[in-house]
Amino acid sequence: MTECLTTTDNKVLTKGNYAIANAAVMAGCECYFGYPITPQSEIGEFMSGKMQELKRAYVSAESELAAINMVIGACSTGAKAMTSSSSCAVALMQEALSYAASDELPVVLISVMRGGPGLGNIYPSQGDYNQATIGGGNGDYKLIVLAPSTVQECVDLTYKAFYLAHKYKNPTIMLADGLLGQMMEPVEFKEYPYPEIDNSSWALTGAKNRPARVIRSYAPSADNQCEFLKKLHAKYKLIEENETDWEEINTEDADIILVSFGSPARNAKSAMKECRKLGIKVGLLRPITLFPFPSKRISELADTAKKFISVEINMGQMIRDIKLAVNGKAPVELLNRPVGNPPSVEEIVARIKKESEVL
Amino acid sequence: MENNFIIAGFGGQGVLLAGEVLANAFMLDNINVTWYPSYGAEMRGGTVNCEIVMNDAEDVSSVNKAETDYIVALNQASFDRFLSKVKKGGWMIANSTLVKQLKPRADINYIFAPVTALADKLGNVKMTNILSLGVLAKISRLVSLETLEKALDIVIPPHRKSLLPLNIKALKIGYEYDLSLTNV
Repeated sequence: MTECLTTTDNKVLTKGNYAIANAAVMAGCECYFGYPITPQSEIGEFMSGKMQELKRAYVSAESELAAINMVIGACSTGAKAMTSSSSCAVALMQEALSYAASDELPVVLISVMRGGPGLGNIYPSQGDYNQATIGGGNGDYKLIVLAPSTVQECVDLTYKAFYLAHKYKNPTIMLADGLLGQMMEPVEFKEYPYPEIDNSSWALTGAKNRPARVIRSYAPSADNQCEFLKKLHAKYKLIEENETDWEEINTEDADIILVSFGSPARNAKSAMKECRKLGIKVGLLRPITLFPFPSKRISELADTAKKFISVEINMGQMIRDIKLAVNGKAPVELLNRPVGNPPSVEEIVARIKKESEVL
Repeated sequence: MENNFIIAGFGGQGVLLAGEVLANAFMLDNINVTWYPSYGAEMRGGTVNCEIVMNDAEDVSSVNKAETDYIVALNQASFDRFLSKVKKGGWMIANSTLVKQLKPRADINYIFAPVTALADKLGNVKMTNILSLGVLAKISRLVSLETLEKALDIVIPPHRKSLLPLNIKALKIGYEYDLSLTNV
């Protein structure tokens, strides 16, 4: 399977994990550092062969802490570098992500969620929505978070993760789940569609013929740190204005709006279509960026929609962001499965019917 | 139109590979297709299954289906486990070498084909999975033998290409198996 990838003219049937890895190679990733963990180990497996074949850097790190800090090191030179991991191991990377946000480094992390908390299990999950969008590191920082729903989107958003990370000098997570990682679908690997970002003004490339540069997160003066945080958050605001992305279907006249990201959004979409056939006015809003979250659009829709239902594979995490966006204008209900495969279409349809009776 | 399939059996019977061949065949026919495995702490000798959803109308298929149009059960455990999942009017295609020929439900169709015995007769019991794909192709009429042959060529890696002719033969034996013998 792996030998047919890198460049193809035709569609190929491939697993989400291989699709992500191949897309990273196509995006020009120069360095991969990783430590294996189910359900994303195929990413490292693919990279271990392909990166060496292309004479790029591949390091099987001694731990997740080492891996993410190697990415920080590589990114400080302006290189396109990444790591990939899953839930309990992404937990180990939180300190480094805070540093990378503070250092304004273009770190790319592929997070393929599995069950938690703790060691949990290897079934699909969306239990790390909060881990990705709020974060477990210290300080006022934000990571760009992208959420694919199909294997093709795993490719497209891996490209985008590298672009946005470098464009905004900000750590970027692509948040997939165990189902997408293991799922096979036909995909196309088109050329990397984004312009290359010039990192020469800040990258540590050796100080010959220019003054030395320092990248650090240490700010001994309070005033400086205030200025820095204001600047950092002005950047986050810019990201919100420019990069918020979502898919929206049948929302204009909808009484009920389903909000779902990642793999359960697939079932939410089918359920929405079935309910439309039954004459129930249902729409779907699928966030593609989780930070920036499409809060503004959800707030607009809350002026006319009578109810929102958040469909998630966790105990209800994104629902908090929906509630903040809706701001009391409409009730927000939760349809969840704690861990495992997404709620079935039938289950979602049944819930929509029930909710539509009490609008 | 949407159809879904579950292929199930012992770990080692090649159920994931058979599913991959089927999914590749749908891709070659320009049909949207999604393949995903049962995923957990699987082991050789345990049960394993994969689901394939094909769809020629929607861009994205839903997953984790409550019901299934076609189930291929290569062992008794899979027959027992998935019998209740067959859609009314759907098909249970069972490997009668390892599955008892009983019909507990009256609202579905059954095919009992001795695919393991046929594979053994062909000279390689590992052909069980591909033989069953031949039977499935005949019953479902959703994919042609020619497309499945092309899909086999995609899935079988270069260092195993010598096994392609035997796989194609297995596919044909499955496809041409006299269904009147299966006590439908």
